[in-house]
Amino acid sequence: MENRATSASPRRIRTATLRGTCEPRSASNPPHLITLAFALLASATCSPGGEDAAFPSRPIEIVSWATPGGPSDLLSRALADVAPAHFDGQRVDVMTRQGGAGAAGMQYMQGRAGDPHVLGVFTASGTVNMATGRIPFGPEDFTPILRIQIDPFLVAVRDDSPFRTLGDLFEAAHARPGEVSVSGFGAASAHFLGFVRLRAAAGDPDVRWIAYEGSADAVVAALGGHTDAAHTNYNIVREHLRAGTMRVLGTALPVEALPDTPSYADQGYDLQPVHWRGVVGPPGLDPETRADIRARLMASIDDPAFREYMERAALEYATMEDAEAFGAWMTEEVTTSRDLLRRLGILDG
Amino acid sequence: MSAFLDGLLTALQPGNLAALLGGSLLGVFAGAMPGLSSTVGLALVLPLTFALDPTPALLMMVSIYMAAEYGGSITAIAIGVPGSSPALATTFDGYAMTQRGEAGRALGISLFSSMSGGILGTILLVLALGPLSRAAITFGPAEYFGLGVFGLSIVANLVGRDPLKGIISALLGLVFFIVGLDVLTGAPRLTLGTNMLMDGLGLVPMLIGFFAIAEALKAAAGGRKETAPGAGITGALPGARELFGLWRTILRGSAIGGLIGAIPGAGATIASIVAWNEERRVSKDRELFGTGVPAGIAAPEAANNSCVGAAMIPLLALGIPGSASAAVLLGGLTVQGVAPGPLLMAERSELVYALYAGFLVAVLLMLAVGRLGIPLWTRVVRLRPSILMPLVVAISLVGVFALRGNAADAWVALFFGVVGFAMLRAGYPLAPAVLGLILGPMIETNYRRALTLSSGSHTVFLESPIGLVLLALAVVSFAAPAVRNRLVSAKRQAKEQE
Repeated sequence: MENRATSASPRRIRTATLRGTCEPRSASNPPHLITLAFALLASATCSPGGEDAAFPSRPIEIVSWATPGGPSDLLSRALADVAPAHFDGQRVDVMTRQGGAGAAGMQYMQGRAGDPHVLGVFTASGTVNMATGRIPFGPEDFTPILRIQIDPFLVAVRDDSPFRTLGDLFEAAHARPGEVSVSGFGAASAHFLGFVRLRAAAGDPDVRWIAYEGSADAVVAALGGHTDAAHTNYNIVREHLRAGTMRVLGTALPVEALPDTPSYADQGYDLQPVHWRGVVGPPGLDPETRADIRARLMASIDDPAFREYMERAALEYATMEDAEAFGAWMTEEVTTSRDLLRRLGILDG
Repeated sequence: MSAFLDGLLTALQPGNLAALLGGSLLGVFAGAMPGLSSTVGLALVLPLTFALDPTPALLMMVSIYMAAEYGGSITAIAIGVPGSSPALATTFDGYAMTQRGEAGRALGISLFSSMSGGILGTILLVLALGPLSRAAITFGPAEYFGLGVFGLSIVANLVGRDPLKGIISALLGLVFFIVGLDVLTGAPRLTLGTNMLMDGLGLVPMLIGFFAIAEALKAAAGGRKETAPGAGITGALPGARELFGLWRTILRGSAIGGLIGAIPGAGATIASIVAWNEERRVSKDRELFGTGVPAGIAAPEAANNSCVGAAMIPLLALGIPGSASAAVLLGGLTVQGVAPGPLLMAERSELVYALYAGFLVAVLLMLAVGRLGIPLWTRVVRLRPSILMPLVVAISLVGVFALRGNAADAWVALFFGVVGFAMLRAGYPLAPAVLGLILGPMIETNYRRALTLSSGSHTVFLESPIGLVLLALAVVSFAAPAVRNRLVSAKRQAKEQE
């Protein structure tokens, strides 16, 4: 299903590479807040469509509806950092539009239908929110362009945990129903569904899912001994793994940096739930424009500075062969999430 | 020690010093602007971290974080609108002092206390990184529940004259917090069918509505007292004797800020309110609190700046952001390839020491920037309400929009403005409602989380010693004013009978 770029990211001296790409931008880029304060004015005066001449004819906006400093927001900013060189030197600005679990930013994109100058970072959480109806849009309300990365799911425990494998955890849950707990981000979230699928593959023992406000909070709960394990992403526990304060019971997909850790499949759970992030455009982009943006984004994410960001954030490339496939993937995810939530009785119908 | 000196030399290099100074200016500004906060200030410079080297980028971020905590008190003192939520408690005595005409004195006390709190918080960070980070994670659902209840019990104290009105106000805050998605089930509650309310009503729109818009409405209705009629506003600063005389208050405030700040998710707003209340509890003139006493400014301001260093403890030692601002900082660190966690001190000690030294330099720069600003702010106070209040409302609404780029937040602020005005008219205090909104989620989510973990058994709350202590403190704190009043009146009666 996915076509992972495998070439190892070359380590470079970051100051040299990053400075080179950034200086022209920071010189011409006005402070974010001012951009933001005039956002309403700007959106009222510039015509949607961008029908004129060649693309890109104006600065590009990346709409960010995620928590500032969080992984999706960082992806927006890392893209904005490298993209100008690949978008004919046009400025690329990140516009914060939070609210309604992402709906505010998505609503804004709806108002820019057909305009290739506005992009957004979409994630697995977005499709789950579509499935639950928290976001009143569907994949068809966007033009899928490029899936970029996956953030591997895993189950981690404190170093002194009695569990060594996923089997240990689920066996304990079978033996003592309701006494084994796993902390993770959110309820009816992508993380929750990822864990529920794993639990189903293990014969649905009664493991308590303890929802937290964020993935890091869920890790604190496991570190503090309040829950037995945390279901989270690799980058959040990476330092604890290196330090030996936590161990991984299993990863959803093989993680390059953890060669000795068996994946879910290695342990007999035949599933690969992934947490992905990619770029979508507003609805109504024609295929040529979409192909053009996609090519420019492909070049951007191959930029050494972007490769460096990916490595630092412990993320893996997961580009999909074409934009159609990405769209089909999103649609399928909404459907399967909705079915699963119905089966769990979380959604009616 | 030599590692620390190396760090200091690093922080004092011209480029790094410039980053610290820039951060201090931006931080004071972001803190003072109602609607903006240290989190917004940090998010603003996040793109810059892609371009800068790790050291200046991080120094700029820590100086913003530090300076914004003082900045918040500027508007709290000058116009009674907390510039950011940790300055809420500073409005009680700070604005009262300004109304007496002593704006310069109030700002001076706040600045000195902020500086001292910042330094003490940093010392705590340097000396207790390991042990405090280990202690912080022992806070589980039962402990957070206890902390939340303890925080809410202060309501009975915050009000003074009519405890019932204070409690009703807090309950209203609890109702407002329910709006949004339930963390534990993901189900929408009280969202009136609109997805724009799914993220909840938000603390910042509430603060703007209550303290800027409601006050403006009050002024329009002729209810806002002219600031310091007759006497005029003086920019006169407090003397060194007065400032150093506050050392006990500052130590207590910093200790409270340091302990609460190190617990992920608790935060500077709770710490500063607890510090203010604790200071009043131990004070001999407790009935003067809220009328403009120096200790009522010094305690919360020392606490919220001490929180900054303390919030770095879980971040640096465990890679866990303890506050929204720390989360943005973590983003900045990630971009720089600096991974906080158990190995950070061993692998990047030079950076950590530069960070420690950067905090201290940032505190001093905050002092300089803050001191230079005081004459300007005392001038702002002299503006007539008919000019000042519309300005405040306009700036606040831009700020609340800029926070998330969401126009709905401005409507929520206006809603709270009307609610706040009605409450003020009817004599209900506003601060307890804010406390309800902040603590509601902490109390409810952790209560239910604890019960989920214990399969519904309430003994889980009795098994946690820290949780029990906090609950006992809550009972004492809640009952204390009533008991004290009873004792005082009994004593008075006894005297009269003699």
